[in-house]
Amino acid sequence: MAKKKLPQFGRYKILEELGRGAMGVVYKAEDPALDRIVALKTIILSDDAEGHSEYQKRFLLEAKAAGRLNHPQIITVYDFGQEGDLAYMAMEFLKGSELRERMKEGPISVAEAVHIAELVAEGLGYAHERGVVHRDIKPSNIMLMPHDQVKIMDFGIARMRASDHKTSTGLVLGTPKYMSPEQVLGSPVDHRSDIFSLGVVLYEMLTRTKLFSGEETQQIFHSVVNFQPVAPSKVNSEVPPMLDFVIERALKKDPAVRYQDAFELAADLRSCMIELVDREAAEAKQKGTGKSTKTLKLEAEAKKGQAPAAEAIGMDTRLPVSLRFDCSAAAARLTNPTRRDRAILTRAPRPVGFWRRLRRDSGARWLFAVVIASLLAGAALAFA
Amino acid sequence: MNKANAAATLASVVFLKIQEFPRRPVQEQARLRAQLEAVVAVTAAELLPENRIVLDADDGSVIVILGDPEGSLRLAERAVTATAAGLPLSIGVNHGAVQMAGGGRGEGMIGDGIAVAASVAEFSAPGRVMVSRSFREALAYTRPGAESRLHPAGVFTDGGLRRHELYAPDELAAGRTQRRRIVLGVAAVIGLLGAGVGVRVVVDGREKALEKGLSSLRRSALEGEKLLRELRAKLRH
Repeated sequence: MAKKKLPQFGRYKILEELGRGAMGVVYKAEDPALDRIVALKTIILSDDAEGHSEYQKRFLLEAKAAGRLNHPQIITVYDFGQEGDLAYMAMEFLKGSELRERMKEGPISVAEAVHIAELVAEGLGYAHERGVVHRDIKPSNIMLMPHDQVKIMDFGIARMRASDHKTSTGLVLGTPKYMSPEQVLGSPVDHRSDIFSLGVVLYEMLTRTKLFSGEETQQIFHSVVNFQPVAPSKVNSEVPPMLDFVIERALKKDPAVRYQDAFELAADLRSCMIELVDREAAEAKQKGTGKSTKTLKLEAEAKKGQAPAAEAIGMDTRLPVSLRFDCSAAAARLTNPTRRDRAILTRAPRPVGFWRRLRRDSGARWLFAVVIASLLAGAALAFA
Repeated sequence: MNKANAAATLASVVFLKIQEFPRRPVQEQARLRAQLEAVVAVTAAELLPENRIVLDADDGSVIVILGDPEGSLRLAERAVTATAAGLPLSIGVNHGAVQMAGGGRGEGMIGDGIAVAASVAEFSAPGRVMVSRSFREALAYTRPGAESRLHPAGVFTDGGLRRHELYAPDELAAGRTQRRRIVLGVAAVIGLLGAGVGVRVVVDGREKALEKGLSSLRRSALEGEKLLRELRAKLRH
């Protein structure tokens, strides 16, 4: 059988097909001018003539922006161009594996997950500083490289064909499970959307579960917008409490209270890493002396549920009883009140009557006594 | 929604809210939370265990106090001193309905009492305690006179368009009430004695009343002099 002829894009000579996606095909290609192997990603620009020029314009803008990014955690874009209805991007050819594959292979340790997320956050911070938002952070866009390095792929590509995915309700589709609530709702998206998506990826790495799942896209969307995830430490007891705080903040539904900066997230992840290293060292030390490793505080934190903030508390909002204080006696008073408790605790406060005030308020008592004494003296003066 | 498993009860709710908690770096959040726990442990130690339930909120702690509004205010005021140690707390106190709510995630509490305390804490500035009108009434009922320390801080409308009449503790307010009472007492003394004199003048006529008064004064002076003389004689003896 004759071998299928592979296309040529610009000066790039296609060597083999590496993979296919919704947006196009990825090839291994050779740049004969520089004698360099590249990854060539093709993107279908338009299915109709009407949107062609718009796609072309957007592609050029995004590709230029992505091409300006030069960071160890971001795949380098060498070149871009157009061949008929296909746009292409020549990128650094990476010898690594996708995070998606790594997650399928087996559990990722907490330290490794934090390290990956920290590097991705660093890369995102760099891109965000330059006004480039990824919009499609997910495990398949994170490449794990040798020597614990990480590369973020496909910067800006989601945006290039964004309008292709507009639904009748105006929503923009991407990868639903990793989309931020603002993406789902079709609200304006900024760099904080990437922070949310990275939060989802980190959550999944730590808990080995899918955070937002559902059989249908609408179910996933509903989860993204409404579902409050349980603390990762409740799912995986190895997760330190501090990491619960980090993930909780990265996954805030409201971008205004989320991390405002990916560098800030990276800094917090670094702090978690330090705590993890310290904990591992302490555990190793205690193993040596044969002592138990867990502290009471960590156990309490692990059991702790998610509690809402003050501004989100309504009359039917349930706040969990603190596990650090023994509240059983008071709780028993409420669940099984005595007759006296019922009388005291269910009585609404009434206005204070004259005699009650006189009995209980010393100031009022003195005033009353002075008035009575003056009244008597006045009467004596008048009639004695 | 969780199914409530107990009847509604009225209790004082102290909401200790860490200011700007979600916007702080995680390291600081962990530090502030640890500080808050220490503050709650110290302040709640004054209350009997059967009188208090401590709840966790995302950005603070809630202490539900049964049958002791005065203790609640004291706790809130003690907690606010923690601001000096770098814990930016704003405190809201309310007296309202609460009830235990079970559920899959262990014990918890719900109620309008907690929701209003949270709203009051939202209005409160760092290092300040604010209380709701219902709390002031509960305090006045259990300890009449104690409410004089709370002066009006204004009327605020929350996100749910609910209006809250709020008060803030003020040591000077108690002094002002005391001074007002003294002025009232003095005025009552002067008024009533004056009225007595007035009545006497009207009944006896001005000169007779004056003469009566002067003779009474003279008599008193003579008696005083006599008493002084006797005392001096006794001392000499």
